[in-house]
Amino acid sequence: MFGFIPVFVVGFAVLTLVYVIVSFWSRQVRRGKLKKRWESEGRPGDRETYVERGLAEYDDSFRRKLILLVYIVPLAVIVAIIYAVNYM
Amino acid sequence: MRYVKWAFWITFWVLVAAFFHYTLPQHDIARITDTYERRIDFGENSIFWASPDVGSDGTLGNRDVFFIQTVQPDGDVMVYRNEDTGWGWPPYFKFDTSNLQAEAADLRSTSASPTWVSITHYGWRNEFISIFPNAVAVKQVEGPEATIIPWVNIIILTLFAALAWGLWVRWKRFRAARIDPLVEDIGDSWDAAGDRMNERRGRFSRWLGTWKKK
Repeated sequence: MFGFIPVFVVGFAVLTLVYVIVSFWSRQVRRGKLKKRWESEGRPGDRETYVERGLAEYDDSFRRKLILLVYIVPLAVIVAIIYAVNYM
Repeated sequence: MRYVKWAFWITFWVLVAAFFHYTLPQHDIARITDTYERRIDFGENSIFWASPDVGSDGTLGNRDVFFIQTVQPDGDVMVYRNEDTGWGWPPYFKFDTSNLQAEAADLRSTSASPTWVSITHYGWRNEFISIFPNAVAVKQVEGPEATIIPWVNIIILTLFAALAWGLWVRWKRFRAARIDPLVEDIGDSWDAAGDRMNERRGRFSRWLGTWKKK
């Protein structure tokens, strides 16, 4: 009955690591894109404030919440396998 | 060095292929002749057996295991075990062992009036260490020539190939950018050292030459 606990504890730890890495990486990519956009827009004002404002916008965006799929997709796959193997 | 490299990569890919061949689901068309359970005392082959029924005491050294005996269209026989994988490896999350045994018992047939089934399973049969593939599902099919498209394997192997290719490309790029220049550098100084040695040897032999009779 409680055999799933080790799987979920280890899985949660690994996925959290993935989540943190993907979050940092995605923020870094966003920062690079904002710097490029600042240049292509003809350098409006200070570069740092432009990038910071863009990142603050990103922090509230739906795009960033998509990283939660790191948890949702494996869970959905497990549920799908359990259904397919045991109930189909 | 070249042979060591080849041996390493061949061993690596053989192991990867064996891993997938053991773990991924395969479909056999067969006719079930009997189903039974017998006690297994696990020994050195214990790694090739899955787990006891989920929820039962898994600490004992032996237990009864369900088996499904089959005959394939070409007349060869194959025996499958039928065990829970539970929450363990491989991740089939199979909990319905007893139900599967009931379905398999229901589909038994004789060679006079055969009922053909597709048996989804993973694992290997090996007589020398008494291991059996683990049946995951049985489904009746119309005849011995039924074809089953292995969608799961196609998806998993495609994803794996994409991952392996992605890693390889990144490694090659990293190597070209960071490691090759270093190696070239080492090569350059190696050549320089060689030149210096040649020059020195030249001087030494010239000096030796001065002792020779002219």
